Amino acid sequence: MVEAYIGEYASGKSENAVNRALDLLERGRTVTLVDLDIVEPFYTLRPIKKELEAKGLSVIAWETGDTVGLGEAGNLLRGDMLWALRREGDIVLDIGYGVEGSKTLNLLHGAHQDPELRIIAVINISRPMTSSVQDVVDYVRDLGPVHAILNNTHLGEETDEQIIQEGAKVVAEAAKILGLPVEATAADEKFRPTLGETDAMGHPVRYLHRLMPKTFW
Amino acid sequence: MADKPIQGEKRMFVTGNEAVAYAALAANVDIMYGYPITPQNEIMHYFTRLAPKFDKPFLQTEDEISAGFTTVGGVMSGKRSFTATAGPGNTLMQESMSMAEMMRIPTVVVIMQRGGPSTATVIYSQQEVTMTCYGANGEGIRVVYSTCNHQELYDYTIKSFNTAWKYRIPTFVLGDGYQAKMRESLTMYDPEARGIKMVDTYPLVGLPGSPGVDRDPAHLRNTYNTEEELYEVVSNLVKDYEAVAPEIVESESFDCDDAEVVVLAHGVVSRAAVEAVRELRKAGIKAGHFRPITLRPFPDKELKAVANQAKKLLVVESAQGQFAKLVHHSLYGDSTPMEYIFKPGLGITSDEIINKVKAML
Repeated sequence: MVEAYIGEYASGKSENAVNRALDLLERGRTVTLVDLDIVEPFYTLRPIKKELEAKGLSVIAWETGDTVGLGEAGNLLRGDMLWALRREGDIVLDIGYGVEGSKTLNLLHGAHQDPELRIIAVINISRPMTSSVQDVVDYVRDLGPVHAILNNTHLGEETDEQIIQEGAKVVAEAAKILGLPVEATAADEKFRPTLGETDAMGHPVRYLHRLMPKTFW
Repeated sequence: MADKPIQGEKRMFVTGNEAVAYAALAANVDIMYGYPITPQNEIMHYFTRLAPKFDKPFLQTEDEISAGFTTVGGVMSGKRSFTATAGPGNTLMQESMSMAEMMRIPTVVVIMQRGGPSTATVIYSQQEVTMTCYGANGEGIRVVYSTCNHQELYDYTIKSFNTAWKYRIPTFVLGDGYQAKMRESLTMYDPEARGIKMVDTYPLVGLPGSPGVDRDPAHLRNTYNTEEELYEVVSNLVKDYEAVAPEIVESESFDCDDAEVVVLAHGVVSRAAVEAVRELRKAGIKAGHFRPITLRPFPDKELKAVANQAKKLLVVESAQGQFAKLVHHSLYGDSTPMEYIFKPGLGITSDEIINKVKAML
């Protein structure tokens, strides 16, 4: 299984990528998580790398100590990042934001030949740029190749079931126009008792354990 | 062309930088000038993504010196103009902003503080307090709003245009890298829907008629020939500023009335202070928090009242005493003992404040 998470700035790409990787790991699979954010290399999952590795995940990402001296514009794709798709087991790629972020995939060796690579666009309709069906359609069309859309609609601490379901509807409608499947709805673990296994549109719900708030830069 | 960037009100989940870009458009800004620098880049990114929909231009200049001066020029031509920057960019804009002070040009600058001195880090600090309040060869004839969350970034970006144009004083919104990049929800609104009227803008130069014949000359000058002439001009600037300062000044206090220790903090650090006070109160400890929203003009009267009641004061900031200097100046003559947490370039948690307050009791 090879999945790349792309999408709008602050749409929840990293949170979904990290949770997906941990979920696959829990199922006894071998998983590599690759941090490929070269749009904003200083605002990534770097602070939780060690915690993730302790759980048994292979993490390809910069460590704080190694970035010393790179400076503000220090974004460098290492060899192990470029060749990440050749690794054994499942691979989850966390990609930088926007169109420029999704172009990072062009730099990976074998990305265009890999029949297993699925590119998933993460959408939160509480983000102003992707707040309506038309916005989502326009946004996803600009991103380049996409295989599925994931509804990650929330309002931070103020999230309620209604906003998640509203997101599910908007994303489902946009997906229909785009001719793409809906991968899932993602929601904080605390909504499990109320949401259940599927969202209002019948798509599976992936529950998230929030890890990115620990990335206090 | 789309109608208005925000219709009515809408709850949104955004970064602080986006909140600023949307607020500027909601405030019906005419133009943004800018030069990229982290951590404010997304203000520009989002402005340039959104502005064409509303027929608003953006000019990327060759550096921050130019971004500051083009903002001054935009305002002089009667446009509601702003720019945004951080760290070394803020340093480079001091020249143009001191010109704005001298000529009473109502510029708006949004600062997302990063580490300093020099290039330092792109990430966070509160080390641009002195520079934003007083960073030029002048008397600091400026308004500086220090925000602590996304709602305030939105509210005060809108407000800064009105403050600048109402009083003709250069106005700054002082955020930081954490606020810039952090995600949280806020209510975006059309100012008009809340009864906020944007202060009209008007050209300061190129006015109709002949100067001295049909009208008084505009007399926008930043150069004077004699000491006496300058003395009179600066004295009037200071006098005018002090006269309007009480209308502009803003602050907030939490649980200060019976507090034994009052935590003084501004900007994002005041969030940690509020949390610390809440926890300390739960534990039966009488703690309070005072927070200036305007760092310039400074809420002297309000702070003195709090300091007079408190047994001890704790100043907390992500800088080596820049905020404390403002506090010392404000409380000159007050004998309330004061202690400090100074962490230049580092975030401060509520736990650190709680432990320090407990140690002070």
